[in-house]
Amino acid sequence: MNVEYINPFIKSTINALSTMAFVNPQRSKLYIKTDFEQTSDISGTIGLAGEATGFVTINFPEKIALTIVSNMLGEQMKNITPVVKDAVGEIANMIAGGAKGELIEKGYSFKISLPVVSIGKNHYTNYAKENPCIVIPFIIPEGEFTVDVVLSRTVNIA
Amino acid sequence: MKFIVIDDSSTMRRIICNTLERLGYDDVIEAENGLEALGKLRDIDVIFTDWNMPEMDGLTFVKSVRASQSFSTIPIIMITTESGKPDIIEALEAGVNNYIVKPFTPEILREKIEKVLRK
Ligand SMILES: [Mg+2]
Repeated sequence: MNVEYINPFIKSTINALSTMAFVNPQRSKLYIKTDFEQTSDISGTIGLAGEATGFVTINFPEKIALTIVSNMLGEQMKNITPVVKDAVGEIANMIAGGAKGELIEKGYSFKISLPVVSIGKNHYTNYAKENPCIVIPFIIPEGEFTVDVVLSRTVNIA
Repeated sequence: MKFIVIDDSSTMRRIICNTLERLGYDDVIEAENGLEALGKLRDIDVIFTDWNMPEMDGLTFVKSVRASQSFSTIPIIMITTESGKPDIIEALEAGVNNYIVKPFTPEILREKIEKVLRK
């Protein structure tokens, strides 16, 4: 399996969260998602479309989302409000945009969609499962969160 | 000095406005997309705009500003998650004066703002 496209997402996730939210996520072992009914408290998804297509989703337990957004805004978030949703969408945006800049150099070219933020439901209903969904787990002192990536070249670069 | 901060993310608008405020600039208005911003450019000295937004994206907005009669010379700083070289070149060619990639530290944001304002 070719996972050369995963590293840029790992880097951009760490970069986004350490720069904007002052946390230092440690990555643990990648795996392929098989349980698509899985839910998370809040998640932000960016669609990727072009010569390469797919999506990237960041999934947070509520506690971690609140910690991260509180750090970003310098203000205590107590529950999932529209402000928290917006911030999670913008984090997803930074992860996708950061990876995009590096992936174009590796021959993966795509545009990024506007963020879609979901609360507590399955986000994968429309996902064509012939491409692997790679899960990158991250750990911070408050717990664990994941970034899911699906990406495939739809046009062969001859 | 009057600024406009254009971004579809309220979080980003807040972070950018807070930084401007800390620099002593409190005359700042906001818009959620390029289209809304086009109607708010009177008396604006510096524009901060995102790229990816609904209604009208930042690149289209920059081109409209540069093609306009009254606003074509306002300095524009683009603040975006788009980090690819081809994207940065495209934005500069469209007339962006300075380009900041998200995520940014408050220091970087401050530095770039000060650089533009000194000119
Ligand atoms: Mg945006």
